Amino acid sequence: MVKVKYLCIAALMVILGIVIAITVFPSEEKRVKKQFRLLSGWVSKSTEENAITMLRRMKDIGSLFDAHCELKVPDQPLSGSYTREEISTYAGSARSQVSQLDLKFYDLQVVFPEKEVAKVTLTARLTGRSTAGERTDETRELECLLRKIEKKWLFSQIEVIEVLKK
Amino acid sequence: MLLKRVIALEGEKVELRNGKLFIDGRGIEEPYVRYPSAWNLSPRQVDKDCIYVVGDNRSMPIDDHHFGQASKSRIMGVPLW
Repeated sequence: MVKVKYLCIAALMVILGIVIAITVFPSEEKRVKKQFRLLSGWVSKSTEENAITMLRRMKDIGSLFDAHCELKVPDQPLSGSYTREEISTYAGSARSQVSQLDLKFYDLQVVFPEKEVAKVTLTARLTGRSTAGERTDETRELECLLRKIEKKWLFSQIEVIEVLKK
Repeated sequence: MLLKRVIALEGEKVELRNGKLFIDGRGIEEPYVRYPSAWNLSPRQVDKDCIYVVGDNRSMPIDDHHFGQASKSRIMGVPLW
């Protein structure tokens, strides 16, 4: 009877250990997905956002990107390589032109094509309202590359996938 | 995910003339289109392993509508009814 009791306690300890390990040391996939959650939260903007929060968000957004990030948008002059600082500045400028913004990511599929590189395919939906009251509602498929630099997953390439070609 | 109607298959030539659909030069009736348009789309052939899709709501200008050719591999399902 005593033996069974000890076995039960040991099994509980093992289960508890596994739960703690999963919580404290999340998988690489979870770490990658977390970067998308942060980006979504920091890009999104509520109507009550003040200037201090706006400046902090600009800095926060930049911190998610590699020193140089490649942006590929079909048929758009936006394509090119941007530094982290440029991304922060452009994000701040774009966010200042909207009164409300909501960025959501759906159906994230994460693969690791090589060591410390994550490729994520997802659907991004951006909704909002400009300061002039104009509504925005854009949905795009994206393919992102993130690189693990100094234990942090950073966006190094974002490509807008052309799903429908006229 | 997009919900669109397949209007042409691989190899077919798709065209819109004043809102009317033509496949390989043949006029196609589209009773499902609720708001007829005056869209014009020059003839174009659908690539191999691709389909051509358009939405049924065509009340907006053609440039504001998401439509076109997509890979067959992107088809997720079909309507149940």
